[in-house]
Parts: sequence; C-alpha cells; structure tokens
Amino acid sequence: MNLNLSINNIPNLSEIERKHRQQSLDNFLVSGFPNKKLEDWKFTDFNQIISTQFSELSNKEGEDNEIEKKISLVKQFQHNYIILVNGKINKINLDFEEKDKILIKNYQNEYKEKFEIKNSLNVLNEALFTNGYYLEVAENYKVKKPLIIYSYIASNSKNNIFNTRNFVKLNKNSNLELIEFTNINVEDSFVKNENEVTYLEQNSVLKKYVLQSKQNKAYIYKNLKNFLQKDANCQNFILNISSIFSKIEIESFLSGKNSNFEIYSASNLKQDQHQELRSFIHHEALNCRSYQKVKKVLNNESKGIYQGKILVSDSAQKTDAYQLSKAIILDPQAEFDAKPELEIYADDVKCSHGSSSGNIDENSIHYLMTRGISEKEAKKIIISGFLNEVFEPITNGEIKNFLEMNLNDQN
Amino acid sequence: MLKIKNLKASVEKKQILKGLNLEIKAGEVHAIMGPNGSGKSTLANVLSGKKGYDIEGEILFDGFKLDQLPVEERAQKGIFLAFQYPVEIPGVNTNVFLRTALNSIRKSKGEKELDTLSYLKLVKEKSTELGIEEKFLSRQLNVGFSGGEKKKNEILQMKLLQPKLSILDETDSGLDIDALKIVAEGVNSYKNKTNAFLIITHYQRLLEYIKPDYIHVLSKGKIVKTGGADLGIQLEKTGYKNF
Repeated sequence: MNLNLSINNIPNLSEIERKHRQQSLDNFLVSGFPNKKLEDWKFTDFNQIISTQFSELSNKEGEDNEIEKKISLVKQFQHNYIILVNGKINKINLDFEEKDKILIKNYQNEYKEKFEIKNSLNVLNEALFTNGYYLEVAENYKVKKPLIIYSYIASNSKNNIFNTRNFVKLNKNSNLELIEFTNINVEDSFVKNENEVTYLEQNSVLKKYVLQSKQNKAYIYKNLKNFLQKDANCQNFILNISSIFSKIEIESFLSGKNSNFEIYSASNLKQDQHQELRSFIHHEALNCRSYQKVKKVLNNESKGIYQGKILVSDSAQKTDAYQLSKAIILDPQAEFDAKPELEIYADDVKCSHGSSSGNIDENSIHYLMTRGISEKEAKKIIISGFLNEVFEPITNGEIKNFLEMNLNDQN
Repeated sequence: MLKIKNLKASVEKKQILKGLNLEIKAGEVHAIMGPNGSGKSTLANVLSGKKGYDIEGEILFDGFKLDQLPVEERAQKGIFLAFQYPVEIPGVNTNVFLRTALNSIRKSKGEKELDTLSYLKLVKEKSTELGIEEKFLSRQLNVGFSGGEKKKNEILQMKLLQPKLSILDETDSGLDIDALKIVAEGVNSYKNKTNAFLIITHYQRLLEYIKPDYIHVLSKGKIVKTGGADLGIQLEKTGYKNF
C-alpha cells in the first residue's frame, strides 16, 4: 500500500506545531497501523484489513460543491443541529436555545492533553488531524431540544484518510441530548480516524445516540474518551453502525463519586461487515455505576466483537458494574467474539458479566407462526425485538421512535 | 370440521400418540382429559404443526390435509392454539405483534389489512371484554407477564384472529378463580354455531365454566373413553387410575 501522507496538506501551522506533527507522522510511519499482535487488536487486524482493501491512502482532501443538495434533515422531531462535512463544521443552527448557552466552533487544539496517545492510530491522528468541532454547554443550562450532528462526507473521498478531533464539555448541572447521525452517501472506500473527548462536570447529564443512515464502504476507527465528575451521568446508545468496517473504542473514567456511565449497543451485521466495540471503564471513585448491554445479529460472513474491560481501583468502593453481550448467529460463516475482563482492587463491589450466543429460538418462531405469521416475517420480528430491546431505557419517545424506525429500516 | 384418523406421532423414535381417532363438528365443544404423559400436549403440538414429530395417519381440517400445511397456513385456515406456556419474546411490542398476526390472517383471506386506527378500536373492544388494560398491550410480548396475564393474552389473540377451531392447551393451569372465570367468559362469548373448541385439561375445574358436549379420556396415546359432560365429574371423583 502506498501511503501518501503529509503535514503539508494542513494549512496554517505554527513552526512548533509543524515540528510536533512531523515527529508524530514519522513515528507512525515507523510503527504502521495496529495489527493483531497487539492485545487490543487481537480480533481486528487493522493493518491487514487496510492493506488488502486500499492500494493507496492520502490525507489530501477534495472539495464538494454539490454537498448542500445531499443534505436532508430529520423531520420527525424538532431539533438543533450542526452539519459536518468531512468532519468540518458547515452549518450551525441553535434556534431552539437561549443565546450564549451553547458554544460550538471548529476544534483548535483545546484540551490537547486529554487526547492521550495509546496506539499508532492515535499517533496518526495527532500528526494529521484537521477538522472537528468543539461543543460546550454552559453551567446550569438544560438544552431544550436534542442536538443532531449530521456528518457527511464529500463525494471525492476515495482512498482518503480523515483524521478528526471533537471535544465536548458539559459544565456543572447542564443537560444535553446529542445525536450523532452519519450519512455516508458516497460509494467510495475511505478511512476515518476519529478521536473524541467528552468532559462531564459535576451533576451534568449527557444522553448520546450514535447511528448511521445506510450501508457504506467506510473504514471507521473511533476513539472516545469520557471523563465523569461527581454525580455526572452519561448514557451512550450505539446503533447499527453500517460501515463495512468499524472499531469503536470507548474509555471512561468515573473519577467523581456517584457518577454513572452506560453503553447500549445494537447492530445487525450483514455480508462481510466487521464490527468491534471495545470498552474500558475505570472505576476510580466511591459509589459509581457502569452498565453495558451489547446485542449483535450476525448474518453471512460478518464478524462481531465485543471486548469489555472494567477496572475498579481500591478507592472505588461500592462500585456497581455490569456488562452483558448477546449475539444471534444466523449463518455458520459468521463469527462473534466476546472477551470480558474484570480487574478489581476494591473489596466492597458488585461486578458481573454475561455473554451468550446462539440461533433464533425455535419456540419463538413457532409461536409467531401459529398466529398466521410466515417464518420469514417471524424471524424478522424476533430479530427486531432482540435488537430493539436496547432502546428500553430511552425516555425521549420521539428519539426512541426515530431510532427504532432507523434500525428496523435496515433489517 | 376436524377429522383425525388413526393418528400416530413419535418424537425421537418414541411413540406418544398410538392411533388416535377424533371428529369435531362446527358448534361443538370437545374436551380431552387424561393423566400426565398421556399425549394431551403432543396432540395440541401436532395439530399446530410443531416441528420434531414423525406423523402417521390422517388429519383433515375443512377437507385439507392438515399435516401437509405449514404452521402459518394452518393458522390462516382457522386453527388456533392457546399455548400452555406462551412464549416470551423480548423487545416485541404486544400491539405490534397482534396487529401483524391479524393482518397476516386477513391478507391470506384476501381481506384488506387494518390500519392503525381500526386496529386500535378493535383491540380496545376485545381487550376490555377480558379486563385487559391498554398499557398492558404496549409491553413486550409475554415478558414478565403473570400466568394469568399470559393466558388472558392468549384468549385475546383468539378473539382477534377469529379461528374456526380453537385448541386450548391447559389454559386453566396457573389461573386463580377470577382469571379462570374471565377466560371462560371469553371463550363462551366467542362460541357459536360455526366454530368449535378442543379443550385440553387435566382437571374438571375449567369444564364447570365451559360446558363441553363431549369429554374424551386420553390414555397411553389413545382415546379410551368418550362421554358427555358428566364424565368429567365422574373422573374428578375416581381419578385416572382405571385407564
């Protein structure tokens, strides 16, 4: 594979920045993409996947003058929105909110120290990141309507690698419902290397929904870091990422007492889709809770992976941590790998995990068929139900309906 | 309506039904009683088309050879089984399920599918008769339902789908007396000259509320005695030890 990566494609760099980025790029070029020899990548040989799929990769971005025509907004419910093209802010609309309570701008190296460098994709991101957004909600402000972040990709993106960075900060006592809605309507194969940091101050609440609109040939790596202060609450719903390849890593630090972090994920994988979800939850304070529920349906030759690690430090007494993964495997060629890890240094904690995989329950199919429903339809209903169950904790009915429709459309 | 001739059914080479004969006509209520392991539930499963049984003999339903029809077509032709243990299906909304079932059956008859409003009106009417609250229908299908709720839900499905032949498999088990009365009233109000019932039960209890025209005693895979409603009362006293 020919790597055509250069910091010269990035405008307006200071001399120090240029030097630092060049150093990072050199480091990346020495190590290359992560491969399966690394424990974190044992089920996903990224280097091999990328080398076989791409003959070249470049970080030179093209323009798309037609992009405005491709944008379509969600009509089912009122919302604020940001439109991103290649990760860069194209439009902001906060009509439903008070002025000066939400700050949204292009990301520019704020909180750089929070973007920890752990693997060579992080190094590459450090070298080449260009676009991204910075989002901050003011203290005590409850955002009235959900904020949808529409993410589009320009049409001439073949063999591109995008490196983006986002930063989200919820100040004390603020609330936000954030929907990250990716619409990849280009046929091209490209790579997206996305890093994101979310900072939840005391008693703030973030409900985040990540979804995609349709099947696409993108190769997506996403690294999310969350820092939770006292009484902060963060719910994450990750639904039907329909890219041909995706690996989402979520690392969360429950550093303030009584903080709560939840992940709910549902996906229906088809053809040779490869999808990994990896979580790493650090319980660092008293009386924190984490909850993870991951459901996957695997068709054809798809591969689904869930690796979940929970680390409870000795200061994190009264921790309540739970993780569950369930898979329905519909074809003998499909594969599901689950690897739960618990590392506990406190003695007064409740930690548990569960994992199951198998076929659709025959008795359930029979029951539905005795009501006049065809076998095909019965299976569809059971699979939708299996996946829809992760929506149960969603309290906003409009969002719930929208997500269910989106998921069912793709099944 | 239903004619069963010399029905034999085995599961994993073990024969459970060993030559069963039964005829049910429109307007009739038949009860099948018998000790544990006599083949009562196997008969219900075989009629519903459950996989895993090797079958010999003949089952005719309205002139169709039933054993050659797939499960959903049996339902579409008018056979309904109220399950002894209704299956819990997580994530599936009860209303969505009911409407899908109803429309599948309507479609098979060449009738127009019901839109949401007409469906809701119909389901409200039927569920009110059974004392089922509206919010119950937005719960996940049978998930976390009590025994009584599950059985009421089965009867609701029967009343919505309007089958010709309803097979009630141990519908009385797990019901308290109030729920039993409601279920029985549900059956009685649906009963008419064009439909029929096959009630499978271990005890006489349910038959005090739903009067059968015939009671058959099933023992070791065969019907060994047939009588009227008084046979049940007699069995209640003597038990099945004579069979």
